[in-house]
Amino acid sequence: MAAPVPPGAPRPGANARQQSPHPNFNPNFQTNPNSLADNMQNMNLNRPHSMPNSGPRPSPFGQPPPFPQSSVTAGFPVASPPMSRPGPPPGMVGRPAVIPAGPLQSTLPANVPPGRPVGLPVSHPPPFGSRPPPASLSSSTGGAVLPSSAFPSSGVSSAAAAPPPPGTRPSSFVSSSPLIGGPAGPMSSARAGPSSNGPPAVGAGALPGAPQFPPPAIVSQPPVGPPPSMMSARAPAQAPTMRSVLGSSAASSPQTPPLPSASSPFPAMTQARPPPPGSPYGPQTWSMQPQQGTQPSHIPGSTHAQPPRMFGMPQQALPNQAMTNIPPALGQPGAPMSGSSKIDPNQIPRPIPNATPIVYETRHGNSANPPPPATSDYIVRDTGNCSPRYMRCTINQIPCTGDLLTTSAMQLALLVQPMSLPHPSEDPIQVVDFGESGPVRCSRCKGYINPFMKFIDQGRKFICNLCGFTDDTPRDYHCNLGPDGRRRDADERPELCRGTVEFVASKEYMVRDPMPAVYFFLIDVSMNAVQTGATAAACSAINQVISDLPEGTRTQVGIATFDSTIHFYNLKRALQQPLMLIVPDIQDVYTPLETDVIVQLSECRQHLELLLENIPTMFQTSTTAESCFGAAIKAAFLAMKSTGGKLLVFQSVLPSVGIGALSSREAEGRTNISASEKEAHKLLQPADKILKTMAIEFAEYQVCVDVFVTTQTYVDIASISVIPRTTGGQVYYYYPFSAVSDPAKLYNDLRWNITRPQGFEAVMRVRCSQGIQVQDYSGNFCKRIPTDVDLAGIDCDKCILVTLKHDDKLQDGSECGFQCALLYTTVYGQRRIRVTNLSLPCTNMLSNLFRSADLDTQFTCFLKQAAIEIPTCPLLQVRDHVTNLCINILLSYRKFCATVSSTGQLILPEALKLLPLYTLALIKSRGLRNDGRIDDRSFWFNYVSSLSTPLAIPLVYPRMFAIHNVDTKDGDESVLPPTIPLSSEHVCDDGIYLLENGEDALIYFGSSVDSSILQQLFGFTSVDDVPTQFVMQQFSNPLSKNFNDVVNVIRQQRCSYLRFALCKKGDPSGMAFVSCMVEDKNANGPSYVEFLVHIHRQIQMKMS
Amino acid sequence: MSEMANMDSEGIDAVRMTWNVWPRTKVEASKCVIPLAASIAPIRPHTDIPMLPYAPLRCKTCSAVLNAFARVDFMAKIWICPFCYQRNHFPPHYAMISETNLPGELYPQYTTVQYALQSFPDPNNSNATQLPPVFVFVLDTCMIEEELEFVKSALKQAIGLLPEHALVGFVSFGTQVQVHELGFSDMSKVYVFRGSKEISREQVLEQLGLGSAGRRPTVGYPKVLQNGYANTGVNRFLLPASDCEYTLDTLLDELQTDQWPVQAGHRASRCTGVAFSVSAGLLAACLPGTGARIIALVGGPCTEGPGTIVSKDLSEPVRSHKDLDKDAAPYFKKAVKFYDSIAKQLVSQGHVLDLFASALDQVGVAEMKVAVERTGGLVVLAESFGHSVFKDSFKRVFEDGEHSLGLCFNGMLEINCSKDIKIQGVIGPCTSLEKKGPNVADTVIGEGNTTAWKMCGLNKSTSLTVLFDLSSTERSNVPGAANSQFYLQFLTSYQDPEGKTMLRVTTVTRQWVDSTVSSEELLRGFDQETAAVVMARVTSLKMETEEGFDATRWLDRNLIRLCSKFGDYRKDDPSSFTLNPCFSLFPQFMFNLRRSQFVQVFNNSPDETAYFRMLLNRENITNAAVMIQPSLISYSFNSLPQPALLDVASISADRILLLDSYFSIVVFHGMTIAQWRNMGYQNQPEHQAFAELLQAPQADAQMIIQERFPVPRLVVCDQHGSQARFLLAKLNPSATYNNSSDIAAGSDIIFTDDVSLQVFFEHLQRLAVQS
Repeated sequence: MAAPVPPGAPRPGANARQQSPHPNFNPNFQTNPNSLADNMQNMNLNRPHSMPNSGPRPSPFGQPPPFPQSSVTAGFPVASPPMSRPGPPPGMVGRPAVIPAGPLQSTLPANVPPGRPVGLPVSHPPPFGSRPPPASLSSSTGGAVLPSSAFPSSGVSSAAAAPPPPGTRPSSFVSSSPLIGGPAGPMSSARAGPSSNGPPAVGAGALPGAPQFPPPAIVSQPPVGPPPSMMSARAPAQAPTMRSVLGSSAASSPQTPPLPSASSPFPAMTQARPPPPGSPYGPQTWSMQPQQGTQPSHIPGSTHAQPPRMFGMPQQALPNQAMTNIPPALGQPGAPMSGSSKIDPNQIPRPIPNATPIVYETRHGNSANPPPPATSDYIVRDTGNCSPRYMRCTINQIPCTGDLLTTSAMQLALLVQPMSLPHPSEDPIQVVDFGESGPVRCSRCKGYINPFMKFIDQGRKFICNLCGFTDDTPRDYHCNLGPDGRRRDADERPELCRGTVEFVASKEYMVRDPMPAVYFFLIDVSMNAVQTGATAAACSAINQVISDLPEGTRTQVGIATFDSTIHFYNLKRALQQPLMLIVPDIQDVYTPLETDVIVQLSECRQHLELLLENIPTMFQTSTTAESCFGAAIKAAFLAMKSTGGKLLVFQSVLPSVGIGALSSREAEGRTNISASEKEAHKLLQPADKILKTMAIEFAEYQVCVDVFVTTQTYVDIASISVIPRTTGGQVYYYYPFSAVSDPAKLYNDLRWNITRPQGFEAVMRVRCSQGIQVQDYSGNFCKRIPTDVDLAGIDCDKCILVTLKHDDKLQDGSECGFQCALLYTTVYGQRRIRVTNLSLPCTNMLSNLFRSADLDTQFTCFLKQAAIEIPTCPLLQVRDHVTNLCINILLSYRKFCATVSSTGQLILPEALKLLPLYTLALIKSRGLRNDGRIDDRSFWFNYVSSLSTPLAIPLVYPRMFAIHNVDTKDGDESVLPPTIPLSSEHVCDDGIYLLENGEDALIYFGSSVDSSILQQLFGFTSVDDVPTQFVMQQFSNPLSKNFNDVVNVIRQQRCSYLRFALCKKGDPSGMAFVSCMVEDKNANGPSYVEFLVHIHRQIQMKMS
Repeated sequence: MSEMANMDSEGIDAVRMTWNVWPRTKVEASKCVIPLAASIAPIRPHTDIPMLPYAPLRCKTCSAVLNAFARVDFMAKIWICPFCYQRNHFPPHYAMISETNLPGELYPQYTTVQYALQSFPDPNNSNATQLPPVFVFVLDTCMIEEELEFVKSALKQAIGLLPEHALVGFVSFGTQVQVHELGFSDMSKVYVFRGSKEISREQVLEQLGLGSAGRRPTVGYPKVLQNGYANTGVNRFLLPASDCEYTLDTLLDELQTDQWPVQAGHRASRCTGVAFSVSAGLLAACLPGTGARIIALVGGPCTEGPGTIVSKDLSEPVRSHKDLDKDAAPYFKKAVKFYDSIAKQLVSQGHVLDLFASALDQVGVAEMKVAVERTGGLVVLAESFGHSVFKDSFKRVFEDGEHSLGLCFNGMLEINCSKDIKIQGVIGPCTSLEKKGPNVADTVIGEGNTTAWKMCGLNKSTSLTVLFDLSSTERSNVPGAANSQFYLQFLTSYQDPEGKTMLRVTTVTRQWVDSTVSSEELLRGFDQETAAVVMARVTSLKMETEEGFDATRWLDRNLIRLCSKFGDYRKDDPSSFTLNPCFSLFPQFMFNLRRSQFVQVFNNSPDETAYFRMLLNRENITNAAVMIQPSLISYSFNSLPQPALLDVASISADRILLLDSYFSIVVFHGMTIAQWRNMGYQNQPEHQAFAELLQAPQADAQMIIQERFPVPRLVVCDQHGSQARFLLAKLNPSATYNNSSDIAAGSDIIFTDDVSLQVFFEHLQRLAVQS
């Protein structure tokens, strides 16, 4: 993985420095999510305003940032394009000014999501920090200062994106701003630039950044110096521990960063007892900086140490142990069976989360740098390859031949998330405007100009890194080459030095004018929906979210409701009140008006608000039980057909009439048991093709559908989900819908849906170097021709799996390029091409493959492939398939790479040591269990289809925290308490635990919880009083405050509000919790230890 | 009888017949040339008609109603039906009957009586059964703002005039049909139906949510709410006028012209057909027997969906008579078929379609005619919704009092007649109920094959023409003395405007005559005016239904035959030809009929022709005669107003002429008069006589206008003015540019090649005397 990467030293250093800032970062990081948190605040759900933390939020900064960002986005890009290219000085000036004014948000680039900015300043310092320059010092100091100040706030972090007190930011800005001012100037300025990229992102980032970068890069390399040694070190050294250590420091730092290093040696300790840290927290701040220095020492130490940090993420591991780790030796003695008993449960690999952001440069020297784990917290500096957030490969070295790949039994695939939310400290994506001629492209494969295109012949020609064709350089793009063979302007042109850039699309990329941002809300008002409160919740959510819609005349909205008929509303301002237009023909629908059904937001706001207030009461007495979902979306589609746009549907019951009506298949399946066992998976397939046909039509006209299912019954998600899947939307599932606890989540989900970075009418294509080709795409989109995917909507949460195959041999030592081009329209109506490039080394060494395997990506790939199989294969088969995938990889490793031939040992490659655990978790996951409701499983595998890598892992292997003692930590460090392995051994009867997977959160009450803790956290005193529905509340005690902080941090990390459920031992609700204890043996599968034994035995069988 | 008083030519019975004395045999009848026909105005009010508050007695075999012509045996308490000679016992409540104590229907002078019936006898609540009338306004929105404003204000006025308990519904249409749910209080709510798709009544009911829930109540129990309508769910759409007037007003205020885009060079897309389907469907949810009208206000041709009469492309003109003749109107037949289905549905529901069409171009009256006429609907054709022809007519529909139209609902006409009399059919606003019987003729004219007709809507001036035939069996063997009289009985049941159910019974008797013996009697029984009108109606009908029918030749041939049979002449000597006074006006009627819009259709659009014919068929004889042969009154200093010859010679510089051609009324000032007027003499006190002269024709014109529906177009013009054509077109062209030398000074000439009346007569005489 990290092969090329410089040794840990440099980085660690970076990390270390950052660490100090890190506290801040986290907050920021979450900032995006913050928007969510903010919402919460607005709703007064959690936070009392009285809280000190909350204080900052209200502050202008806090709130604006989250949202503004998105809005800013548009603005920003506009300004930037010109800037970016020439690196115009004037722009520079302008910006600084800007920054102070609209600090965070305004500055944020389009890409950058909301409010993260805060953290940025801090982060930068570290990189420089490593260097000597005075500037860096100042900055670093600044950074250091900040943290301290930030801490209090950061603790709050959860609260809002803004959390950092206003004060902090300014400071950070200040530091950065001076730099910016200097951009043109000397190195120092330059350095500052890079360091500050994140924050200044806005102004500085783009312009100054470009020029400056080079220097930093260069600079960085020197530090790299050490790395080389590292490099060499890698191969030889096996320092699993080291890595783990490193990893821990980097990734897991939050919990135990400082101490960890110390403690790391004792793996068992760390993992098993997350708690040890009580102390760790305190030191963090301080330790951070020291760390750098210390790190090296750590490494050595760690080397010996066992694989304490399971999370043993590749990165760190990479440098040291380059190759294979045989971390935990299981059942060492021969017999697996007996062995199993000997396995020390505390020593088996487990993930260790890291909370400390590390700075990651995508390329070092002239080679790709393996990315940090997807689930870790990192800040990317784009030095040629794209940020792994946008695209990452299952293996960070590309096998030269298909045979080699087959031998490894690993998957070769890309996970592409082109709009992914960047860390707030990262540089914004630069926008390049080539004017009317459009971006330079290869004339054969149409690949876009990128840093890996090689200019030759004095720059008059260039060789495409994708197809190898030699093109003439367009005359006005010509530039002489420097002595190093690069174009002299390479560092000034983002498209030649950045892995990800955005081109302004010229006319030839537009079939029509870029579409306006159209939002159409469609609400179920059938009897059930109204009576369960779903209608009211939807209306209220929409009403609150109106103000978050993009400003401007290009934003249009429409609204309709439906039961057994479809009700449109004419919102035209000329009318005294909205006019309800009913389309009663639900077999053959149509739109009731050509115009006026979709109106400019600015013209209909009052009507819209009035209407949304009225809808729940208007239908209060409705006795219509039927729901014509299919017809309603078709009708709404017809209304939107001319423009396209987002269709947000709130659906509460099984669509029973009209086009695409569905039947209660689940119940039918149950009554016919014999059939249901054999054909169970059929229920997971769409009932018929009607909705699919509709969906394809929607996609063709650029209508993206999101469905919010607020139900208490079976709604046949398997059929319904076809629509969002095909149109680039998604399904939100609230089951069983509760009018008490779900409206807040519904609102936050809707808000995020609308405010997150996104694009419309998109087309995406991935190109690869010769020798490799795209085999297939999977995700939420519509595919009409094999090479492209059509996305009526694309947003930062959507991820697409691109499987690859060899069609030729690759040259060892060469690089294989991947380029993902996404042509889309921004919410502000600009047509853009986002080009994401990744260039990875090719290898003939199997061991290299294992060393550079990317666990998170590989597993996500497994997960998605399993999800694809679920509806078409019997469950048992899917599970076996998954298990075999895991076994085969380990077998291959065992066979070809393991140096030690102690047959009695289960040997795991360091990079993939968690694969068995995740595989086990996957087998026990909701989608692969057969005890779940059909809808739950349908939702699960649909959710997976667009799931991003960072969220895929927690989905199957959730995080668990103890919350009964969240007040025991020492104030200033990471908000999140240590995670607990998912084993009932770690769950005490007197504890309260929070388990979250990015979507749902379970709060589990042991049977003998201290009533005062209950009282403090939840306001009731006995476990018997645990309500069935839950609304987060903050009480005025530190325990409660901390708990709320924890929740908010998680929300921010996940960009999800989380759906809470309370679980009690002995209750059905408790069973839900227990079933998440994937390391336990239960009806759905063996315990973790048993599973390892099973795998071991299988491997041994196959070996012999 | 032919010289019945001008004032009341139809008498208490409101029956006029072409022949008041009938020949005995079919052969003889056919020799009479003019068919045996009766024009009846089934519910024309008359002060002498007694109102009987009980149900009539019916003959147990032929179900004719007891009448003044029945022979009564007071002793035996038996009455003998004059139609079938069945002896019927009086029921017990007639026990008091005696020669001196007759029930109303037996008074000899009461040949027409009216029974007030209780359809749902309920002693406690006599009002409860009265279903309020329903008015569904169907408004076209594909028109320019200005027109829409006109029609909106007319609508508002009309709604204000409706009786408070009347139920009102509102449907608007353009590219799509919008049914407004007036009973929804939260906001304006509209059901939208696509214009391009034909929709069945069941679909309408279901989609409006009136399906199963809506219809169930209508079947079983006539549950009635306090305000008098059944709770069928339809009350979401139909509200008492008093409740929804405000809602409707605001609704109309906000109503916009159709918002769907109209392509350049194209007609607006207008789905009149679907709008009718939907409105009819909506009314289907009403209680059966509810009197309801669909009042359609249409501003242009249907171009969308069923009932389309022309494509949207403006380069394609709306069909003309020529296209119809040449079968070059691709939409016509299909549209007619569609509107015919609407008619059937409405008739089965007992509901009316009224059509108010205002547009410069055609709107498809020709196609919709079938639906309007079969349901007895009103029709008004105007050029603009701002024009008085529309405005005043529309207002009249809803007005109470003296000039009210007396709109009634759910009429049914039954005819009983003496043996040997066969009914061929009825021309006029009604639909055959296909009730077969011995008195049904084999040949059908108009709505035939029945002895009962439905008139979903009718008013006090509605007239029908019944065409009779005689049994083909040889009657000579029957002694004539036994029954020298024959009887016709017209039974009309209907709901009056208050919702009460009435039955009117008119029994008339006429004489048989053996025309082979005496044609003198036959002659005297001829009603020229009625005959002319009947000929006009039959001609119109034939022109519409018979392919390649040459109306002029047919009329000429019949006229010649008639003159040959009844004229006095020596063979082959034209100069010897004279006509009995009973016939003397008839040729002139025919002359004018030949020139009228009914026969010379090529001067008009098919819409206008259809409109004219509908009114011709539904007006009484007097009015219909005016349509054929306008009346002309001359006003001058020298004399009182007096009728003038309908001749160009009547034009004089010092006269004012008042022409009433029914559809328009022309006040025509001679040149001198016009000059005086222009100089303002009428404003000078010493010329008050002139002022009065100017005033007189205007006042008379207003009188005519007030009594007429639809309101005629008033044209005031001067000699040699462009508008004078309205007069000149109707005048006998005795002076044309061919003979302009011998005209009187101040008179006028008409630029035409048409033959004049004199020439026509000359030819007629010559042909009539030919052997």
